[in-house]
Amino acid sequence: MILLDYHNRIIEDTLKTRFNPENKPKPVDMSIVDFDGVSYHLSTLDDNDAKLNLSIRWKCWNELVQYGALDVLKREYSRWIIDPEHGYDFTLQFDLNDIGGDPEDVIRRVSLLKRNAMAAPFERAFDAQSLAEQEDHWDPSSSQLMTIHYRDGEAIYVQNQQDRVTVIFSTLFKEETDRVFAKVFLQEFVDARKKPHLQNAPQVIYSHREPPLEIRHVPGLLDSESQGYITFVLFPRNYAAGAVREETISRIQIFRDYLHYHIKCSKAYMHSRMRARVSDFLKVLNRAKPEIQASEKKLASGRTFRRA
Amino acid sequence: MTFTKMGFAGNNDPSFIQPTVIATRDGGSAGSGAPSVPSKPSFLNSSASSNLASKRGIEDLDFYIGDEAVANSKTYALNYPIRHGQIDNWDHMERYWEQSIFKYLRCEPEDHSFLLTEPPLNPPENRENTAEIMFESFNVQGLYIAVQAVLALAASWTSSKVNEQTLTGTVIDSGDGVTHVIPVAEGYVIGSSIKSVPIAGRDLTSFVQNLLRERGENMIPAEDSLTVAQRIKEQYSYVCPDIVKEFKKYDQEGDKYFKKYEGVHSVTGKPYSVDVGFERFLAPEIFFNPEIASSDYLTPLPEVVDTVVQTSPIDVRRGLYKNIVLSGGSTMFENFGKRLQRDIKRIADTRIKRSEVLSGGKMHATPMEVNVISHKKQRYAVWFGGSLLASTGDFHSYCHTKAEYDEVGPSIARHNRVFGTVG
Repeated sequence: MILLDYHNRIIEDTLKTRFNPENKPKPVDMSIVDFDGVSYHLSTLDDNDAKLNLSIRWKCWNELVQYGALDVLKREYSRWIIDPEHGYDFTLQFDLNDIGGDPEDVIRRVSLLKRNAMAAPFERAFDAQSLAEQEDHWDPSSSQLMTIHYRDGEAIYVQNQQDRVTVIFSTLFKEETDRVFAKVFLQEFVDARKKPHLQNAPQVIYSHREPPLEIRHVPGLLDSESQGYITFVLFPRNYAAGAVREETISRIQIFRDYLHYHIKCSKAYMHSRMRARVSDFLKVLNRAKPEIQASEKKLASGRTFRRA
Repeated sequence: MTFTKMGFAGNNDPSFIQPTVIATRDGGSAGSGAPSVPSKPSFLNSSASSNLASKRGIEDLDFYIGDEAVANSKTYALNYPIRHGQIDNWDHMERYWEQSIFKYLRCEPEDHSFLLTEPPLNPPENRENTAEIMFESFNVQGLYIAVQAVLALAASWTSSKVNEQTLTGTVIDSGDGVTHVIPVAEGYVIGSSIKSVPIAGRDLTSFVQNLLRERGENMIPAEDSLTVAQRIKEQYSYVCPDIVKEFKKYDQEGDKYFKKYEGVHSVTGKPYSVDVGFERFLAPEIFFNPEIASSDYLTPLPEVVDTVVQTSPIDVRRGLYKNIVLSGGSTMFENFGKRLQRDIKRIADTRIKRSEVLSGGKMHATPMEVNVISHKKQRYAVWFGGSLLASTGDFHSYCHTKAEYDEVGPSIARHNRVFGTVG
């Protein structure tokens, strides 16, 4: 598994069993999490087991709404939206007797809830860019810098320009080892792009500590050793409307988790090599043990005997 | 086969239950159990090419776990990182966890505390290795390693029969491979008295399979015979109070007791039906009368439980009889708890009576209170107990944190904060 899934597996599995008409509706009350501090709450109503609520809570929800998340969500889930449950930001309700659509399709869409919420700022930036491209005299000041503080101390910045969209991740590494791994890893992105078949891939720039020009004016940027910035430069060909665009949005927003997943994988790989090496060394050491010499043993009386 | 149960604290059921198996490309190590030596990345040998990615393969990422591993067993080699309840291959276990966390649970380990369970008598070195992987590879926020039997006791607190929340009791944990009887006194496992019984789910299934075969139920397609036996065991089996009377009942009112199992041929799709008869009560009976299924293991379960309690320190024995807790799928049979309670009580009462007689009628003992506790969460009792523990407010204070690990090192995992001692 090189890439991470975009959808939430637990939601997918649970809905699959719940939406199956052969299973009788049962009361459920489950809390589930997803990457980047998202929490879900899946529950049935107290008085009606056939009504299933799915709520989501995310600390950057208000920012997403500001960038048009509700429009995207209405487009995807209009049928099921109800007033948010207490303590959560957004709630969907399903009637198990009338799901309202092909179950497969509904399950797929619902399990992408987090991804769709996060898609809004990207869609907005892509649309703004394609409008700007048609203008002869584009006013650079009309470009909008959208900031999404999706984790504590980490944010995504999305900015549209006339010919491109820039996406900047600020990352914070809690562990020195992780930071070093990440650096090697990110330098690979730069190198890998030199390959002929990857020429069309978006450019990736990694800067350590130094914020990129686009966001240098943003107040409150942390200046510390553990801070890094990753810039993706997306050109219109990277987000041509349709499947390519959807894929780009999915992929870019899972980037941080992807990076951290691979740091962990690299560590696991190093560990298994270390274990293998240690067991090799142990074999060598065991071979190097001096052999016990068969010397003649004498009893106190001076007589010798041979060991069996 | 060991199963992994994973999920989030506070939930009633685990989110994933899957076999603890990992399917890898490298293969070969499945039989020996020794870790295969990963190949050296080729960039260490040559320096001609332009970037690292082209030089190094991604074999270490090419693997599946759980059900997906089983589904891919034709092209991949299956490895079982856990043997006899203990981690045997750390390379595979580390990768198993890696995918469990990121692909299945979808959480950033830095943001979460983890509760892992261990079998009784797990060597502290294993605990250290676990802590090393959890903290160094995954940077988990906090880690707590709990003993399975203790969690099973905690899970029984949900039963309405339990009125005090005690951590003293005997846990009967019966899964697929082996049944353990584990005495726990105030949260400590009494290691020297643990007994295991080589009868569990798998043996019951093959017993049912044999009965069906001997009776000549030739409607069952050969390739489905194990699954059919398993279904019959799960759907129709129960524990009877008296095997002779039960046979009589079947003879007199057959229509009431004989059942029919309807199945569909997994290849041709043709439906078939199987008669279900005496195996309904005979299968779980092998816990109580092992001689009907095997010739080398003959001690009935109630007797084993009694021995376990009798070999425990004398001051906790009453507590151990009073709180016998069931855990695991093979304890789910109807009336299993009732029968066990009756049989254990009988053994205990006989012993008390005999000592009264021996004392010449001068001494009288308080009657022994024997309670076997069945509850709704029995099947995944250990997981549920963990979910309960991890959702309490104190849980984070019990965990070892990353900062403490960095300060002390792996040996921190030898210490359990709930009891405040080295355990």
